[in-house]
Amino acid sequence: MTCRELFERLSEYLDGELSPDICQEISRHMEGCAPCVNFARTLQKTADLCRRLPTQTLPPDLAASLHTLLTTNRREPK
Amino acid sequence: MTATPPRDESALIEASQAGDPRALDELVRRNQDRVYSFAMRMCRNVEDAKDILQETFLGVVRSIRDFRAESRFSTWLYRIASNACLKKRRRGVFDPEPEQEISLDALMPRPDAEGRKPEIPDWSEDAERALLRGELVQQMEAAIDKLPREYKIVIILRDVEGFSAEETADLLKLSVPAVKSRLHRARVFVRKELSRYFEAEQRLGSPGGEPA
Repeated sequence: MTCRELFERLSEYLDGELSPDICQEISRHMEGCAPCVNFARTLQKTADLCRRLPTQTLPPDLAASLHTLLTTNRREPK
Repeated sequence: MTATPPRDESALIEASQAGDPRALDELVRRNQDRVYSFAMRMCRNVEDAKDILQETFLGVVRSIRDFRAESRFSTWLYRIASNACLKKRRRGVFDPEPEQEISLDALMPRPDAEGRKPEIPDWSEDAERALLRGELVQQMEAAIDKLPREYKIVIILRDVEGFSAEETADLLKLSVPAVKSRLHRARVFVRKELSRYFEAEQRLGSPGGEPA
């Protein structure tokens, strides 16, 4: 496996989506390739950081206008 | 005296489908921050995020009876929100143009002129420290925001919101390989932006470091 081939499949590797054979090839390549190891670590960290981004709270004025809108629109004739 | 709305999501959905307005209110309340965050990340504009939020929940209110329990409620909700985002005309003049391709070739580290392997710093530990100092969220958001929309929505759904590749493909009407390909390109792009940030930090922190 070349650095290029590893680079193309790295997200699938990190997400556990590759066959054991290919995973083994990747592990073997990484044993002797510090740049690929560091690239993999920082790509994994990028995905981890995305997962930890905070959820924003809806500002109270927008929440109020949303609920007014929905209340108006959900009324149905009896 | 009014009864408390049920707490379990599936019970809330059933009650909403049966016409209980308080259950529907509660369902909206429980999901409004997530949808707002998603919309803000997608368009970076409060007015657009408000429109997307309203369109999404109007869709929920109008179609809750059509929701079938074989799919997850969040997938159904995000399908409505994603459609609202993608059809929204973007207002920001700095927004990347749609249909832009991210080339992996352009993002792949290259050997130097003498064929030596590129130096790739491992900044994963620095990232943890920067996160603790509260410096990284803005960098992450700015990096994601530079992505073309088609890539941005995939990394947000997969890595920020935690949907699987199959769910993301289903809710964006893409193939699973297309989702994986866009996700990989988006991650590599965001990683490169973060690398630039950490390299700049390194230079600032160590005056003897390599010039830019």
